[in-house]
Amino acid sequence: MNAFVEQAVQALAAGLLAGCLYGLTCVGLALIFGIMRVINFAQGDFMMVGMYLATGLAAVLARLALPDAATPFVAALLVAPVLFTAGALLHRLLIARTTGLRGGTAAHQAQLVLTLGIALVLQNGALIVMGSAPVSIVSPLSSSAWEIPLRYDAFSTLFLNQGRTIGAVLAVLVALAVFWLIGRTELGKSLRAAADDPEAATYVGIDVARAHRIAFAAGTAIAGVAGGLMVLAYPVQPFVGTDFVIIMYAGVVLGGIGSVSGAFWGGMTIGLVQQLSTLVLPLQLQNAAVFAVFVLILLFRPQGFFGLNVERA
Amino acid sequence: MLRLEAVSVAYGGLRALDGVSLDVAAGELVAVVGPNGAGKSTLFRAISGTVVPHAGRIAFDGADLLARPAHARAHLGIAHVPEGRRVFPSLTVQENLEMGGATAAGRAARAELFARIFALFPILAERRGQAAGTLSGGQQQMLAIGRALASAPRLLLLDEPSMGLSPAMAEAIFDAVRALRAEGGLTILLVEQRVGDALAACDRGYVLEGGRVVLHGAPAELAPERLRHAYLGV
Repeated sequence: MNAFVEQAVQALAAGLLAGCLYGLTCVGLALIFGIMRVINFAQGDFMMVGMYLATGLAAVLARLALPDAATPFVAALLVAPVLFTAGALLHRLLIARTTGLRGGTAAHQAQLVLTLGIALVLQNGALIVMGSAPVSIVSPLSSSAWEIPLRYDAFSTLFLNQGRTIGAVLAVLVALAVFWLIGRTELGKSLRAAADDPEAATYVGIDVARAHRIAFAAGTAIAGVAGGLMVLAYPVQPFVGTDFVIIMYAGVVLGGIGSVSGAFWGGMTIGLVQQLSTLVLPLQLQNAAVFAVFVLILLFRPQGFFGLNVERA
Repeated sequence: MLRLEAVSVAYGGLRALDGVSLDVAAGELVAVVGPNGAGKSTLFRAISGTVVPHAGRIAFDGADLLARPAHARAHLGIAHVPEGRRVFPSLTVQENLEMGGATAAGRAARAELFARIFALFPILAERRGQAAGTLSGGQQQMLAIGRALASAPRLLLLDEPSMGLSPAMAEAIFDAVRALRAEGGLTILLVEQRVGDALAACDRGYVLEGGRVVLHGAPAELAPERLRHAYLGV
């Protein structure tokens, strides 16, 4: 019995840590898909690029005088400005041609094909440049753990991987920064206004094309940072994005389309279900459990946790 | 203040405006009336920039408006209250007003402008923290007008402000328009289906039909029989 409790606590902790990172990836997609309604198949591959970029940056930073423990996290955060710029350029040159004031099905079909193409280019480009062997960041923290004794007996202990724990805390901090930006700042409000009604937003003087570009770039940057934090625990290979993109969409839908904070909780739910399911189900059924719970939740709450009941005009 | 010269707009092959010329002087209230599909909303969209005319000129304070992107026109002092209200549903009342007030002129006088909006529509002050999508139709119309006023506009474009509202609410909105006019300092271009009220309140009126101006002048010149002809063709 005690052994099961120990396992359960361990799975819960692992679920929370994974959930924080999934939550952040979902926040990135929520900006692009949930708010701006751009269907982006390449979101997982932006994350993959962030993972490679972070490993590369970590290797460069390791030669500088930074403390070893800090390099992977600094590298992950440095991914943000690089991918923000890349996302803004990508939007200006390609994505913007499929959006604009005229939305609707035609726009979505064009986005689907375009972002699928971008995904394929990124995946195969990474294969050419980086090869197919998985890489990860080797850090002293990723192989050390905090041991927290569980008080109900003398020997049960919770192991918290230090690298993952710090990564999860940083993910939460980045997500909080995004919530503040979207919820409280004038820029965030103008992004939401442009998403609510692009035409009316134009009438109040918002440059809707610019708002879309910023949201897309921010979503790309967040995917990159999440990838950079993830690569401590999860090795990167060129096709890693496909593992994650479905989880991201599930998280955004679960949280409620249009809600950025909801997307975080959607991702958190997926992390928890994935890890807790291993207590009773074989490991291979992790993702089956995720989607069983996904379907169940949507059965009872079709609009997701924080979905807006308000009809969008 | 605003001058349109022979403005033509086509959607695909369909002509929505056909050589429309129109003048609005500072301080005037000018009404545009006409049957459905006459091109009234298209006229407003051409002024605020969300449709691009293929011919003609639009000048605002002497400057060429067509050379400015649509989103820059709000900053010049043009506020468009679109047909169907179109408030930002997921933003609160307060945030909707802040978005309207994001122009330089709106920022400079925010406290004053908000006080004036809340005096005109006290319900908006009560509902400040509420999501705009949960307001009633009439309240949304008030918010749409308030959002436009928050930008400290010089020209207000009001597109069918009483559309889809109960008669009592429509009357309240129309009272607000009259009050705005009485305050002075604001130039108003009004599209309204309540033709009688619109013509009674305006300085001059234009009758639009099939994308053309068929009649214009002081309200007295827009005699009922000529209007009937424009609307009904009899």
